[in-house]
Amino acid sequence: MALLETRGLSKSFGGLKAVSGVDLKVQPGTVHGLIGPNGSGKSTFFNLVTGVYQPDPGSHIEFDGHDITNLQAHGIAALGMARTFQLLRLFSEMTVLENVMVGNHCKTSYGIVESLLGTSRVRQADQNMKEEMLDLLEFIGLANFADIPAGELSGGQRRLLALGRAIAMKPKLLLLDEPGAGLSPVNVDKLMETILGLKERYELTVVVVEHILKVVMSTCETISVLDHGQKIAEGPPEMIKNDHAVIEAYLGRELPDDEIRNAIRGQ
Amino acid sequence: MISFITNFASAIESLAKIHRLLPWVIAYILLLFLPNLITATFGEYYVDLANRCCLFILLAVGLNIVKGFCGQVTVGHIGLYAIGAVTSALLAQNYGLPFWLSAPLAILVTCCAGLVVGLPSVRLEGAYLALATLGLGESVRIMIAVTPALGSSTGIMMIPAPTIGDYVIESFDHYFYLVMTAAIIGIYFSFVILNSSTGRAFKAIREDVIAASVSGINVPFYKLLAFVISAIYAGLAGALFAHMPPGYLHHNNFTVIEMVTLLLMVVLGGIGNIWGGVVGAIVVTVIYDQTKDYYFYQPLIFGITMVFLVVFMPRGIGGVIEQAIVKRKFIEKHEEQNLGTS
Repeated sequence: MALLETRGLSKSFGGLKAVSGVDLKVQPGTVHGLIGPNGSGKSTFFNLVTGVYQPDPGSHIEFDGHDITNLQAHGIAALGMARTFQLLRLFSEMTVLENVMVGNHCKTSYGIVESLLGTSRVRQADQNMKEEMLDLLEFIGLANFADIPAGELSGGQRRLLALGRAIAMKPKLLLLDEPGAGLSPVNVDKLMETILGLKERYELTVVVVEHILKVVMSTCETISVLDHGQKIAEGPPEMIKNDHAVIEAYLGRELPDDEIRNAIRGQ
Repeated sequence: MISFITNFASAIESLAKIHRLLPWVIAYILLLFLPNLITATFGEYYVDLANRCCLFILLAVGLNIVKGFCGQVTVGHIGLYAIGAVTSALLAQNYGLPFWLSAPLAILVTCCAGLVVGLPSVRLEGAYLALATLGLGESVRIMIAVTPALGSSTGIMMIPAPTIGDYVIESFDHYFYLVMTAAIIGIYFSFVILNSSTGRAFKAIREDVIAASVSGINVPFYKLLAFVISAIYAGLAGALFAHMPPGYLHHNNFTVIEMVTLLLMVVLGGIGNIWGGVVGAIVVTVIYDQTKDYYFYQPLIFGITMVFLVVFMPRGIGGVIEQAIVKRKFIEKHEEQNLGTS
């Protein structure tokens, strides 16, 4: 059974159909790529699935056996879905450690009233959580920076921290929105290695949006291609590479010579 | 100066390692001698000033939770303070309830009011939220000003002082023990909240609402919770204010100017910094009191101070000190590591 399944997922902003009728299945334990030109609806798709936007009526999203179509973002997160953002959205005035601890919010073992009273159980639970989170920071290589504000990290470290915050939720499904944006090719390879390492270590299913096709082709088992809000192709990397519709979406449609001439002359 | 404070901070930290409540107990015991000290050096009037400082500490610490931790701009806090004060005063005067019963009831009423003030925060942000809460806070004051049963223009007089058995707490220095205890407990719990998952959720909401919600934080719930917690502080401060000798309250104590003063305390101390809020409350209350002969210029000077603070010291006194402490710790840690490797 698919871990994440969307049926007829649509979202329009005014007259613009950002996503229309997307059916998608993500199999558990895989790395699923989502590609498409700019403005093809990839980020909107993520926002719909994670509950940041409400989908249009008629859409249906199922996650791990639960119908999450009308759930709010925090409810979906509690079911085990984590994501990163293209623009990271770190809690920049909080420390690195606090950032990952917020990620672990759903796993807090004490109630709210208890947390306000500061019972010994709360202190013990927080101490355990801190150690666990430091362990995670160690794994992604940020343990030395645990106590400094996230806003003072370098660009690459921030990307790692965004990833760490998502992992801290101990999710079943991890959605990565352009994890490699703005990184040099060497660093992108390193980042992908970290991501695959985390996937093994925490038994994750990963959906990744990425513009660097080389990365997508080498790491993903299945790739779905979006264009103008619609899914135009889906399959293993070799198939996508040679898919006619995909090439057209990226490079434009090939026209016969005389049609081009006519277009230029304005006829 | 700053190195003295960082040394002081690390001394307190080592005390806290022995037992986490030890610094609090020591501070409490030291403060018990404060009224005698003040009376001996400055005179009894200044004990009353210290009492008012404690009330404003409670208010500033409460405001810091909703504004500093959770990032919700509220200008209705003074209205909650008014509700706490009037409720407790009327319960004591009309129904003869002792302070120990009227104050908790007043806090309960203030909590409900805090929930109402917080409701707009679910939909509104920034300046719009400030406007909505301003309206709510100011309407409380106007309601008090026009309703005879709530005191209207004459105010409520002869509010009974709290009693323990036969003993009546009506002198300034004995009332100080009451408000100081409340202030210390208030500060302590604000630290507890800040360091818990709830505090982290508040801060996450302040930093980025969307990232907080996909991290599993129920944003509307925690926003309302922040308002309700701050209402507990405001209600407690209000009740303590109402019963404070000479047991008189007037709606002029709850004007927008008072609210601006309160905001100045929090901004001067450092938004989101608990000790900063405490220092800000003391500094502003004392300066306000000492310059009341020039009351004509006070709002002007306070306004200008606020503008300069926001431009040149946006993180306030507390922010500057906190940064110094963090930097020092970071350097120390790295020096240790370098020594370890070489």
